[in-house]
This record gives sequence, C-alpha cells and structure tokens, in this order.
Amino acid sequence: MTVVDPSVSAGLPVELARIFGRRVLVFSPTIRFALGPGDRGLVSEGDRVVPGMPIAERTPDASVVDVGRLTSVQNGKSGAADGRDGAHDESTSAWRDSRFDEAEMRSRILRATTMKAPSGPRPERRRPPSPGKWWMGGDERRGKPAKGKPAIRVGGTLLFETEGRWRAAAGERHEVVESPVAGVVVSARNAVEVTIQAVGAAMPGAIAAGEPTRGYLDVPRLTDGELWASALDIGRSGAVVVAGSRLSGQAISRARAMSIRGLIAGSVGEGELRDLEASELRQKASLAPSAPFGLIALDGHSRRPIATPILALLAVLSGREVAIVTDPPLLIFDVAEVPLPELPPDWIRARSGANAGREGRWLRSAGHYRFRGGVYLEAAVVRFVEDTDTTIVPVMDLERFIF
Amino acid sequence: MSSQPRAFFALDFGSTTTSVSVLGRVGGRWRLVAHTAAPSYFDVDSMLAGLLAGIGATDPEMLTALNSGDEPDIPVLVSTWPRLVARSTPERQIAIVAGSRRQRRRLETAALRAGWDVVAGSADEDDAVVLSRLILSTKTSAVLFGADHVPGGDEKRHLPDLAALVAGATRSRPELTVVLAGGAAVYESQFAALMESRPEVEAVSEPEEEQLENEIDIPAPEPSADEAPPQTKMLARKVAASQESAFANEASFVKGEAPDEDAPAAEASSAEASSAEMLDAEMPDAEVPAAEMPAAGPRESFSIDETEAGRPPAEDSLASEPAPAAADPDPIATHADTRKPATLPLGFQVSDGPAVATHLLLAPDAEAGQLPGDALQEVLEGLRALPNDSRLGVARSIASLAYVLDRTIEVVEVGMQGGLVARSDPFGQGHFTVASSRSCPTDGSFAPSSPSEEVIDGVLAWSTIPLDRHRAMDRLNDLRLTPWGEADGDGAVFRLAAAKAAFGRLIESMPELAARSMPELVVAAGGIFASLPPSVVALALADLVRRPGVCQLTVDQARILGPIGAIEDEDERRQLLANLADDILMPLGALILPAGVKPGRNAGSLRLKAASSVAEIELHPGAIQVVDLPPGRAARADIDFRDSVRLGKRGHHFTVDVGGGLSGLLVDLRDIPMRISDRPDSRRSALDTWQRGMWPEVDE
Repeated sequence: MTVVDPSVSAGLPVELARIFGRRVLVFSPTIRFALGPGDRGLVSEGDRVVPGMPIAERTPDASVVDVGRLTSVQNGKSGAADGRDGAHDESTSAWRDSRFDEAEMRSRILRATTMKAPSGPRPERRRPPSPGKWWMGGDERRGKPAKGKPAIRVGGTLLFETEGRWRAAAGERHEVVESPVAGVVVSARNAVEVTIQAVGAAMPGAIAAGEPTRGYLDVPRLTDGELWASALDIGRSGAVVVAGSRLSGQAISRARAMSIRGLIAGSVGEGELRDLEASELRQKASLAPSAPFGLIALDGHSRRPIATPILALLAVLSGREVAIVTDPPLLIFDVAEVPLPELPPDWIRARSGANAGREGRWLRSAGHYRFRGGVYLEAAVVRFVEDTDTTIVPVMDLERFIF
Repeated sequence: MSSQPRAFFALDFGSTTTSVSVLGRVGGRWRLVAHTAAPSYFDVDSMLAGLLAGIGATDPEMLTALNSGDEPDIPVLVSTWPRLVARSTPERQIAIVAGSRRQRRRLETAALRAGWDVVAGSADEDDAVVLSRLILSTKTSAVLFGADHVPGGDEKRHLPDLAALVAGATRSRPELTVVLAGGAAVYESQFAALMESRPEVEAVSEPEEEQLENEIDIPAPEPSADEAPPQTKMLARKVAASQESAFANEASFVKGEAPDEDAPAAEASSAEASSAEMLDAEMPDAEVPAAEMPAAGPRESFSIDETEAGRPPAEDSLASEPAPAAADPDPIATHADTRKPATLPLGFQVSDGPAVATHLLLAPDAEAGQLPGDALQEVLEGLRALPNDSRLGVARSIASLAYVLDRTIEVVEVGMQGGLVARSDPFGQGHFTVASSRSCPTDGSFAPSSPSEEVIDGVLAWSTIPLDRHRAMDRLNDLRLTPWGEADGDGAVFRLAAAKAAFGRLIESMPELAARSMPELVVAAGGIFASLPPSVVALALADLVRRPGVCQLTVDQARILGPIGAIEDEDERRQLLANLADDILMPLGALILPAGVKPGRNAGSLRLKAASSVAEIELHPGAIQVVDLPPGRAARADIDFRDSVRLGKRGHHFTVDVGGGLSGLLVDLRDIPMRISDRPDSRRSALDTWQRGMWPEVDE
C-alpha cells in the first residue's frame, strides 16, 4: 500500500480520494526468476530477451557433489587437473541437443533484429573457480571410473571450497527456463536470480502460483461470472483463460490436462493453491516435463467476481499474447498501447465485506458511522448498479480504479 | 514562524495503519490534544489538516494557543509543526545455519524474539544444498552463523565447512549481512577478505536526508543497550545534575538571548538546543530530581490523576516568551523552497534514518545475557529494525512508563508485520531500576504470511463463528491482503479471533512470563485492538493473561507509545510520559483474576465501595462478571471467597483498590489456565457466551 498519489487524486473530492485507488496497469515492471543452488542464468545483465528465449537453467535434483581440487583456467585453456572445462561443451550439448535448432533459430532472429544476443556461459569459463560458477563433471572426474557403464554427467554450481577441495550443487537433470516476456535483463546471478525489466504493460494480481507462462488470452463467455470446468477443453490448449470469479481444484486439474497455459480468476482458495503446488512438485519429479502452467487471482482468496473494468480490458485484449509471471504476480501484455475502458471517476467497487464484488457509484461521504458489531468506521454512501436504494459502506471496503 | 511551536505531531507509520496525534502544551504540561488513525494509503498531510481543523472547530482558542497566539493557518501548521515519527520495520528474513540441531534451536529462539522471519538449518540435519538455498534466497537479508562460545562436540566438526559455505554464499550475494555468533567468530578472517572487496554501503540520498532533517533533529543510530542511558534513578539524578549545570549555561539561550551569531543555523537545531527547549518546558520541575517528578500513586490502583493532581501546574510564563532564535528554521532551507515552510525542529533527540547497514557483525553466543539469548537478541534487533521502529519504541516507552508510574507493566502489541510482548518491572531499593524483557516475533502478526496449520488451529480455537480450515485460511490470507477490509459484523468477530490467536502466540514466545506475577498494568496496543469495542479488548486481555492477581487494563488508543519510544533520551521520554500517561492510556477497566476457584453454585461475594456508591454481587465460578465502574473512578473491592483462592497470596478475604474503565470491573472466575472443551462446538459455544456478555452489539 502506498500513500495516495496526489496527481492521481487531483480533481477528486477529498472524501472520494480517501477510497483506495487500485492501479489497474503498471508499465515496464521488473520481474524476477528465483534460482537456487545448482541453477544458472543463461543471460547476463543488459541482454535483451524475447518471449521463449532460454534465460536460466535449473537443476531440479541438485545434490552435494565433491568436486575435488580445481585450479584456475588460464589463457582460455583448461588448466584444471581434471580437464573439466574440456568436457563442458561436450556434456552441455548432451542436454542442449533437443533445443539446438530452436536456439539457433532464435539466435538468427536476434541477429536479424539487431538485438544483442545473450552472452552465454563462455566468458564464465575463463574465470577462476568461485562460488556460483557453473561446473560440469562426472564420476570419472572424481577418480571413480565406472567400468562398462556410461559416464554419469552432472552439472551445477560450485558451492564452497574447504582445504582446497570444492563442493558443488549438481545434478544429472536440467530444465531450461524460458522468458515469458520481452525485456532487458537487469541482473543475472547464478544460483540467486534473474531479473528482467519487461516491455509493455501489466495488470497486478493479488496471488499467483505455478510457473511463469505465456499464451494467447482467451476470454470465454462467463455464466454469472463463473466458467464451468467443462468449458476448459482441448480447444483452448495453449491459451491463458479468463476463468471467472473463482478457481476450483477441478478446473485447475482439467486446465493442466488440456495443456492450457494459464488461468485468470477473481479469487483462488488456499486449498487449491496447495493442491497445485503439490501437483507441480509431482510433475517436476517425473521425467516427462510438461508445459509451464500458471494462474493468477486478481483479488484474493474469497470469492469475488472479476471487476467489470478489468473484464472489459481483458475482453479487448482477447486473442493477444499475454504472460503470467509469479514474482510479483502480474499479467503482462507486451502491447505498446492498451485500450482503456472509460470509467466515471466516482465508479467504485466493494473489495471486501458483505458487498464484496459489487460495483456502483460513490455518492457522498457518510462520516463516521456505526456498523454491525458496534464498530465505528468512516463510511460512504454508494449506489450499487443493481440497486435503487443507496447503501452505506465502510470506506475501507471500497476501491476505485486508476488506469 | 518566529516562535517555538508549542505543539507537535506524533506519527506512527504502521504497515497497515497510519496514526497521527497532536500533542500540545496545555495548562502547563504536554497533553494529547487529538488523534486519528486511517489506512496507510491515506494522505498523511490531509489527515493532519483534518485533525487540526477538528481542533479549530471544537476549541479555536486552544488551536491559537498552540500556535503561540498567532492566528492558525492550517496548511502552514501542517508543514511547520515538528513531527515525532515512528515506523514499522518491514519483515526481514534471516537464514540461520548451525552445526547442530541444539544450536539451531537456540539461535532460532533469539532471532524470532528479535522480530526476524527465520529460516534455519543445521549441518547435522541438512546438506549443503539445503543450507545454501536458505542463504541464497532473495528473501533472505542476513545470515546468522552461530556456535557455542566453546563449540560442543556435536557441532565442532561441522563448523569449518559451514564457515566456507556461508562465505561462499555471501560471495554470490554480497549484499547479505553476516552475523557470526559465539564460537563462529573465529572464522571472521574468511569473511574479512570478502568485506574488503565489497562496494561501499549506499548512503542516504540527499533528498531523503533533507526530508529526514525536516522531520527530525538529527538522524542518529539507535542506541544499543550499552549506549542507552541506564534506567536507574540514581544515575538519572546524576544526569539531571549534569543537565542542570548545562542548563545554567544554556539559560540565556533558553530565555531568548541571542545566540552566537556566528553559529550556523543548523547548530541551532542540534540536540542540545532541543533538550534546552524541553528543559524549558519542564523548568518548574527542574529542581526536583527527574526520578521523583512523577510521584507514584497507590500501587494497587491505576490513578495517574492523583499523581498529576498533586503536582503544581508548570509555569507557562517562559513558554510564552519569545522562542529562542536557535529554534528558527534554517533560513537557507526556507529560501530553497518558499512554497513549503520548513518543519521546525523537535524538542527531543529522536532516532531515525535507515536501518543499520553493515556486512559483518560479531555477536555473543545464544546463551549470553541476563536471560539466555538476551545479548544476541539485542544485536539482532538492532540489525533488523529501523532506529525509530515503532514496535521497539513501544517497548522503550513501556520501560519508561514503568519507571514513571512505578508499576509493573506488560504490553501486548499485535500488528500486521509482527507483534510485541514486553514486560518492565521496577525493582530494587526504591524501585530505581527497571528490568525489561521483550519478544517481538513475526508470527505475532494477526495475519502472518503463509500461515501454518498451528496458526489456523489458533484462529479456529478462538473463533466464535463456525469455519472450516480452508475457509479460515482464506479469510486470514484475505485479512493480510486487505487488513482494513470487513472490519464490521462477522469480519470484526473474525479479526478478534485472529488477534487473540496472535496474542496467544506472543505469550508462547515469552515462556518466562508464565512464572512471573500478574502485572499491575496491562497495555494493549496495535491497530486491531484500536478498531474493536473496548469491552471486547478487555475480554481478550482477560482471556489470555491467565495469572492470578489484580491488574488495570488499558489500551494505547492513539498509538503514541511507538513515536514516544523514538525519543532517544531516557530522561526526556520519562518527562514526556509523566505528562501524557493520563491521556494516552485509555482505561478499559480493572481485572480481578483469582486462581483455584472451585466449581459450584456460589464462589463468594464482592462488595465494591466507590466514593458515592456501594455495589454487591454474588460470585459464580466459571463466569466472567462485570461491575460498572466508570473511567476515572477509583473504588475498593472487598471480596469474600467461599474457599481459599490465590489472588497474589492464598486466602479467603481480600481487599483491593481498583480503577474504573470503559468496561468497568471484570471479575474473572474462570479456570487458570482456562479450560474449555476441545470439541469445536462446545468450545465455540462457551466462547460465544462470554463474548456476548461483553459484546452485545455483535448480534445487531
């Protein structure tokens, strides 16, 4: 929460300006991809990224590996006793083969569009060993040749050195993280994070879960603000679907099964979030990777319909590519200009309380008012759209929209 | 402005609520003139303007007097009156690594009590990847690596690897602060090399500095326990004596004689000048040792009226004299922005500025201190909190208040980013010393982030509305997202349950409290209590302070204890609190809580003798009974129990002095500890019965 921006509130009655101003759009947000031990960034600060570009590589099953003694690499040649860096390219390509064509194609596109290509790991190889540095190796590198068995290659990041011996967080399996948005890399640190300043506009959400994802925006017809789970069919594969007021566990499961990339709703329960998290963990533990799936709830946990100005905005953007990012919770549209719905300045919505989700117009302040339970709160007189009578509502339960 | 303002604003910027108060010199002493609170997204200046407009509409003469007799111009007053500011420190996460589980738990306890959000691991439980993950998480802002002063066998062998691991992780995240506690300090050399290669600590930008200087006198780091003035009356006398001599030197300055013209204007707003202004305000009392100023009233009742009534009103003559030129705003600053007058300096030396920015700290081990872990807790608090942190400010104010009132005080503050439970006991000959202890865990928040199952259990245990676990969790998470939302009706009932659950967690975080006697004064603080009806808050306190005895219940309605705690000088703080204690603590009532009441139809009787009335009630075991006793009234309660009970001491007949309050006198004859059925329905029914007795409006 921040202090009301005077420029935003300018021209509004003082009492109306005291209603929480919900900013519907933010521009060029900075988003973050948290990494952990064993993970590395595939980009570096200042790099430009486009949607789908690999930006990081995770090691889901990282464990502690005794690397042994490492010496500095000099003159671009491997000076390590184990010749580790010589093995680097060879082994790296083993899990990069599947992505080679796609990466090469992206690289060409990048060159064609005069964008700076990601710097990649090559300069890093020339650095002496240090915590966070990418390391590649296998059993034979640690003096344990495995007769008759293919060498197990592991990769990860160095952790620390004691008595001249290094330890690393490394694993056999790796996953590439693709950028869901276009933007510029603000920082990239192995085992810590990759942050990107995204291009375009974004809609802040209250909660996001799953993984950053991208797809075309699908705004189906809602029945009483709800989307039936049966409407999530295979025809919506690859879409980010606006799913109405609340996400059910069934809808989430079905959406994932139908390769839907993401769901947008007014609210999602904590139980459903826990189910999703457990499901994600199971999915990661399996050897068959799936398309990333994310969800975003715009209001919170209790059931509330999506606000009509936001729904109108989403309807206008229907069919365009959007991205869901989880840190912070944002729905990002990489469009230069967002068509904004026109709203009267006194348009308000109840964001909590008995009238949660209802919209209407602010009429006047009601001063301090005694509400149920003998609680005194600052109040406003509002007229909700479907009502002919006015209603007195605590000001703190209301919000107005700022585009 | 040509004269020293006779009023200032006290601002508490909480994470959810902004509280603003106007304090002014009225009738020769500082008084709380007006206060209000609003969600933190409200514009502060408009809140202040509204508050002043309210004073002007109610009592225009007072507003004029507060403005030194000048015609008040509210926008000018808003921008020029000094501000005493306290802020909630945002949640910060610390990663604890230790060689053994035993050590990890000790370190965890100290860090939790210091208000950190803790993630922890130990080498005998977790591997290096898990430990690294804790440190490398971008949520983590500090690392605590600790061992016993002489590391035990269970942890010793792990320490070299752990030191290397922490040093390695800090190379990936050079912004981390590393705390080496106890025996871990021997690995300092591994980190010292890292620190040399680090970039300089970011300095506060100039505009921020200007803003800070406009709000306060001199940004100064929070004093550590060693630097803080000792809380003893003996030493206070010495301080007072030295101040008197300093005062003699400054007397000409205080009385309006022109200061050295060569002295820069900035010096005029220095701490010494500010102190002089404060001494000026208290000059009639200057002859009396500061410690003896607030004469303690009867210890059995809370009667600040008596203490203040006994004192002659401070002379106001000096205050009406032309203010010292030293207090004039910096002319350079005034010229720099003619549209907005500069804020006048405050009459106190105040803590403010950014949190301590350091990268390597050596700390005592987790067993050091008066109570085990106290010393480490102190270090970690200093590292976590802003110098003017409102939560620690409340604890400091309570310690000062305990001295001023000569009473044992406990405070429970429940906020959004955490909570606080603190106790201050005056002790020793003449009660010249105040012993304080506190705990401010993050899970003392009424709506902790990522609530655990235990948190949900706690909320459900106090809820009087039927909720399933998922629904309770959703509501608690929504409460965190919109803390001011749904504050009425069922929402208020749920907030009360959340506040009580947080209260319970706070009590659990300070287990030594269970062995202490019932305090004479209990203070509830925090926005969630301020928004609930007083009788309900009194019931919540009675529900959770389950120790036999008699105490006075109050609430810090204006949320002013935090800002006052930002005053660095202990003596100044005590003097201000001596003036304000009557105003800032809203009396809820007195609580009589006997232990050992046996079940039955009749537990005895109570006869309450007030100045003009006598009330007599029959006491019923298992009930909480209320006797009307308005605020400001004192009375004597004669209690006859049928069986022997404990009420301080064991006996049948007791006579206690009690003070009134908004809820009256509460006689709580429920069990200690409170025994309620574990079955949800029965428990809810019992809680509901007690609650409806105190909160009839809930059915509206």
